[in-house]
Amino acid sequence: MDRNMKILVVDDFSTMRRIIKNLLKELGFTNIEEADDGATALPMLKQGHFEFLVTDWNMPGMTGIDLLKAVRADPALAHLPVLMVTAEAKREQIIMAAQAGVNGYVVKPFNGPTLKEKIDKIFERVQG
Amino acid sequence: MEESEKLTRLTQARGLVAALEANDEAEYLAGLNALAASQTQPMFEEVGRMTREVHEALMTFATDDRLNLLAEDEMPDARDRLRYVITLTEQAANRTLALVEEAFPVADRLMDRAERLQIELAQIQQRHADNTPLVDVITGLTEYLESVQQNGGVLKTGLTDIMMAQEFQDLSGQLLLRVIALLETLEGKMLGLLQKIHPVSAEKPAAPTVAALSQGLGPMVPGAKPHASAAEPIKNQDDVDDLLASLGF
Repeated sequence: MDRNMKILVVDDFSTMRRIIKNLLKELGFTNIEEADDGATALPMLKQGHFEFLVTDWNMPGMTGIDLLKAVRADPALAHLPVLMVTAEAKREQIIMAAQAGVNGYVVKPFNGPTLKEKIDKIFERVQG
Repeated sequence: MEESEKLTRLTQARGLVAALEANDEAEYLAGLNALAASQTQPMFEEVGRMTREVHEALMTFATDDRLNLLAEDEMPDARDRLRYVITLTEQAANRTLALVEEAFPVADRLMDRAERLQIELAQIQQRHADNTPLVDVITGLTEYLESVQQNGGVLKTGLTDIMMAQEFQDLSGQLLLRVIALLETLEGKMLGLLQKIHPVSAEKPAAPTVAALSQGLGPMVPGAKPHASAAEPIKNQDDVDDLLASLGF
């Protein structure tokens, strides 16, 4: 796994962006950018050669699930690994995210080791 | 059935029979209608009574100052307060996160330095293995440096836990945003209803009553209107001190 890969963290709460960013830094990732909803994130993704997307679900403007669908619908972004970190924990929602092509799903509240485990799993599968 | 009503009905029935026997269709239909009306009239009266009651209830509802106040002032005020709670928790969480971010590299540096010193001391110990007093000192220092590394790890775990605990801000904030949205909907519906049945809004009290003041208004919310008209708004401790000073304290 390339620790210099460019990662986009999308969450409407700055506190949560900061926490995820710190956890990623602890895991050795340093090239991290932020966006506060899907509508801001999508143009960044289209321009920015990101290699990994971590997104919340429930955000004003464009939600995480719509962002995920938009990413999968764009041929240039379709293969971007996407990890959802969200408080949305209904069975139907997790199924919806899976059907939309999410690579991992972490339910808030979460902890550092869980995040690391999911990220490791995503890149094992992507690279395997 | 009362005796007089019974007589009326009998007369009507006999009239119907007579009209039928006489082949008087007009008279027969008129009689029939009169009989039917005697049955439906009480129902119409009941519907009328209920309509009046609903109307009166709505008028009372519309002219109840408390409700106007609730929809026009207190609900927007509650929303402002909830938003302010989000801001306060956000500030607190960010302050904590900033301190954690500062402390993390300090722990890292302590651990790195301890590790490097340990290696250097081991080399010195090898070169001066026959110098017992020096070796004793080095052994003591090495133990200490090991504990620095261990405790540094404990410190970092604690810092990570403190950081993760700030997650409450996101979760509580999301819940509050939902309550705010609910209040907005409720407020809109109430205002709509009040406007429909009683377009003129009631007079609002300009300032909180003595009773409300003694109950306590809660922490001050920046930008909140309703109670801002209450004399001079106090902004901070300096204002409080100034006010007290002006009162001779």
